[in-house]
Amino acid sequence: MTTAFLTNWIYVAVFIVAGAAMVVGILLMSRLVYPIHPSPEKYSTYECGIEPVGDSWHPFAVRYHIFALLFLVFDVEAIFLFPWAITFRRLGTSGFVEVLVFIAVLAVGLAYAWLKGALEWV
Amino acid sequence: MGVAREAVEVVGELAARFPGLELTVQPTADEIPTLWIAAERAREVIAHLKTEAAMTYPMLYDLTAIDERERSHREGQPASDFTVVYHLLSLEHNRDVRLKVALLGETPTLPTITGVFPAAAWYEREVWDLFGVGFDGLPVRPRLLMPPWWEGHPLRKESTGRGTERGRLTMSSERAAEWQEMLAFRPEDWGLEELAADPEVMFLNVGPQHGGTHGVVHIAVGLRSEEIVSCVVQIGYHHRAAEKMGERQTWHTFIPYTDRVDYLGGVVNNLAYLMSAERLAGLEVPERAQVIRVMLSELYRINSHLLFYGTFAQDIGALSPVFYMFSDRERIHDITTAITGARMHPGWFRLGGVADDLPDGWQELIRDLIDYLTPRLDEYDALVLGSRITRARTKGIGALDTATAIEWGVTGPNLRAGGLEWDFRKKRPYSGYERFEFEVPIADGGDSYDRVWVRSQEIRQSLRIIAQCLEQMPDGPIKSHQPLAAPPIKEPGTMHHIETLIDHFLGVSWGPVIPPGEACLGIEATKGNNGYYLVSDGTESAYRSRIRSPSFPHLQVLPLMAEHLMVPDLITILGSIDFVMADVDR
Amino acid sequence: MSEAACHALGLAGFGALATAAWATVLYDLVIVLVVLVGVLSIAAGLTWFERRLLSFFQDRLGPNRVGPAGLLQPLADMVKMFFKEDWIPPFADPALFVLAPAIIIVSVLLAFVVVPVTGSFVIADLNIGLLFFLAMSSLGVYSVALAGWSSASKYSVIGGLRAAAQMMSYEVFMGLALTGVVLLSGSFDLNRIVAGQRGLWYVVPQLPGFLVFLLAGFAEMRRIPFDLVEAESELVAGYRTEYSGMKSGMFLVGEYLGMTLISALIVTIYFGGWLGPGLPGFVWFLIKIFIFIAFFILVRATLPRPRYDQLMDLGWKILLPLCLVNLAVTGAIILAVQR
Repeated sequence: MTTAFLTNWIYVAVFIVAGAAMVVGILLMSRLVYPIHPSPEKYSTYECGIEPVGDSWHPFAVRYHIFALLFLVFDVEAIFLFPWAITFRRLGTSGFVEVLVFIAVLAVGLAYAWLKGALEWV
Repeated sequence: MGVAREAVEVVGELAARFPGLELTVQPTADEIPTLWIAAERAREVIAHLKTEAAMTYPMLYDLTAIDERERSHREGQPASDFTVVYHLLSLEHNRDVRLKVALLGETPTLPTITGVFPAAAWYEREVWDLFGVGFDGLPVRPRLLMPPWWEGHPLRKESTGRGTERGRLTMSSERAAEWQEMLAFRPEDWGLEELAADPEVMFLNVGPQHGGTHGVVHIAVGLRSEEIVSCVVQIGYHHRAAEKMGERQTWHTFIPYTDRVDYLGGVVNNLAYLMSAERLAGLEVPERAQVIRVMLSELYRINSHLLFYGTFAQDIGALSPVFYMFSDRERIHDITTAITGARMHPGWFRLGGVADDLPDGWQELIRDLIDYLTPRLDEYDALVLGSRITRARTKGIGALDTATAIEWGVTGPNLRAGGLEWDFRKKRPYSGYERFEFEVPIADGGDSYDRVWVRSQEIRQSLRIIAQCLEQMPDGPIKSHQPLAAPPIKEPGTMHHIETLIDHFLGVSWGPVIPPGEACLGIEATKGNNGYYLVSDGTESAYRSRIRSPSFPHLQVLPLMAEHLMVPDLITILGSIDFVMADVDR
Repeated sequence: MSEAACHALGLAGFGALATAAWATVLYDLVIVLVVLVGVLSIAAGLTWFERRLLSFFQDRLGPNRVGPAGLLQPLADMVKMFFKEDWIPPFADPALFVLAPAIIIVSVLLAFVVVPVTGSFVIADLNIGLLFFLAMSSLGVYSVALAGWSSASKYSVIGGLRAAAQMMSYEVFMGLALTGVVLLSGSFDLNRIVAGQRGLWYVVPQLPGFLVFLLAGFAEMRRIPFDLVEAESELVAGYRTEYSGMKSGMFLVGEYLGMTLISALIVTIYFGGWLGPGLPGFVWFLIKIFIFIAFFILVRATLPRPRYDQLMDLGWKILLPLCLVNLAVTGAIILAVQR
């Protein structure tokens, strides 16, 4: 079991290396054959043919951060749920009730965020 | 030409309201009351006519100018170098009034009327741009159609009419960089310093090279997160000087240029132009030619609406409808090719009629089209309008109420989407539309969904009209026998009689000479009201050919509709108002 | 790859050589390469498949000039892409700009490692296969978000930010939807999940979970109707506006790899994987995968795109509560049956 487990991970590692090597290889091969003809227009930012106003790395939409926070909360929830799910049959009713309470607490959190308007976009 | 009863009424009212106001009434061929007033009184008179008069005129239909310096036939008109023309429209009473202001000097200025009609902003900028007539309160960069580096004002008579007269243009990389710099959007030019200083606001250029703008238009939006807080529309990228060409081409040879103004409308543009030109020439169009004109116009209306429908669906992300609708359009193009020889721009109507009679077997083509298209339309409605995602994207987005729409000069389906049943084919029937039975579809929300729905219904009504054309096509000539019809009909005896031959030769080579006068008769074009305000000085070309296009006001009202929405909504609205940049920029 | 897999491939003869460590390494590398090239070829072939099928749905022909029925079109496209100028904009962050397309390819490819093609053919039979897949698919968001951010162009940045929020959100729903399946199977091992479906495909007891997973799949693949990160009528090309040449091509390939992966996962988790009567397992597997790929293409031909906030609303206000309810109901039913 342990050996098989390790062997499997070695294959994953090999796959990572081979995949990365392939990407690098393709980019290098392409680099060898493609033409290079620089021009000022080509090197300008694409903004529909008009010179941009201001910086693109711009303070932007706090909304996204709220969704990042929500993601964090509920992804962590999922992390807690996975071990429960896999041992579900052993834990039985008591485990189920505990998880229901856990879900309920988070559901209250979601309801709060919802009512507070954190889920509204504009 | 006479002074109409309406003119007497307006003059009476204005004289009573503004004692001491000098009023000159000018008779015109279109019988629209045309009054000359002093420049400094224009603003208050217009304000009075808009809101207080016994009959109010809440729509600024058009605002333009005429360079009068080379005009010979100005009998009875006050002395003027440049005349600014205000054309107001009352939908409620179905009446027009035209006010003219005489200006003297090379670069005169006059007070703005943007305080009365905010929609005047673009029109006044255009007048300054093309004529050099200034208005107080113009923005820092007043050019509207010409690029910012342009020198001169092209519609002035001294301005050259051909590119070859201007000397060679070389495009060095320095010049390219300099011009690129001039095209950049600067918030401070548009009074947006406050937003520019706000670190949360980002300015994004949408267009001119953008897949969602339907042509080359530059929309600079200010975004706070993804909410649109400012929206400046820059046009002119598609300007092709159609009005200047109208002054150089003969009355007859200008017809194909009109096709390209609303390039999806085809012969509908011809009709708009010919309505005014034929009125000036006093031409009577035979019945058969009228019905043929109606039939072709409706075919092109369907064509334009189908393209609108498909591209709108694509704007909100549905990929397939546009393909179905483009192949349907090909069927219509097959018919127009059989009849006129061309697909999109036939230039096929003539002064006093149409170019040729219908080909043998045209009935079959029309019948097949009606049988084919009618059931397809239901499928399209289910596919596009029936989708819940479409409804979520369009309902309540970019709603325009009727009063605002009228104030900004919105006409056509965009106006009817708000609930006003106003169709020039019904209210001011032309070319024999009164003989056809059809309904005017209206919605009530005025939002993007309604604008699309109204057009989808109009396609069905157009099919109905075409079916009636098929049944009722009268016999008879397809062109007027009057002398000013162009090109003149070649009679069997023409080649044997020298006087007739000379006459015919001149009619073909020079084209007709249309008597002096002015006329503007708007029609219900594919996108709204299209009117050609033609001024004849008694020559073989127009002295001034002003094109009042529907897309121009529709695009100007965009910032109003897009306020506080998101960029995807902006694209939805752009798709739903159905504009064509060539129709905006002319 | 397990020994059983070697047998399945008829390579048992290699067993003798396996004593020599070098040969094993060589052999493994060959297999890994074969799988890599195989998966990439499928992705390339899909560009042809999608364009032809889309054309069929749209009353037109599609690419039919290069080779028989246009089958060589992907090859021609690839050659074209190799020879396209592929610049890094001077205003961009060069390291991240190059890294982004690489991440998407590698992360999606890695996720294939755990997909069982048949009961015995799986590159790495990890006992946490499901978690591995989730981990790899969450790496995808880095690619898209970094691509948008490093491009330093406004359209790209907006696309990248949207991508981050959209893919992260749907990642959550995807994970929660899968919890229901874990409850049923009691395992993260994809092969055991397939084996657990011998009597009944999990799509029946886990219909709500499947629907959530399917929708989340659209969001993770960034395909219509959830292609808001590159919505062309709004954001031009979104996060990859500034990309050109081969790097742009990699995003394209990444998208098709993603579509294959999601189809493979849906089939494995909800539609009995390689199980099926008569035909060999991998044939069933491929048939099922292509049914889903065709379904994704049909959806692309049919649906418009919702607005960004509507997409987020759907996720947080409908899918998330649905997931939680599904979990509770599934647990309750399993307990009731156990009694």
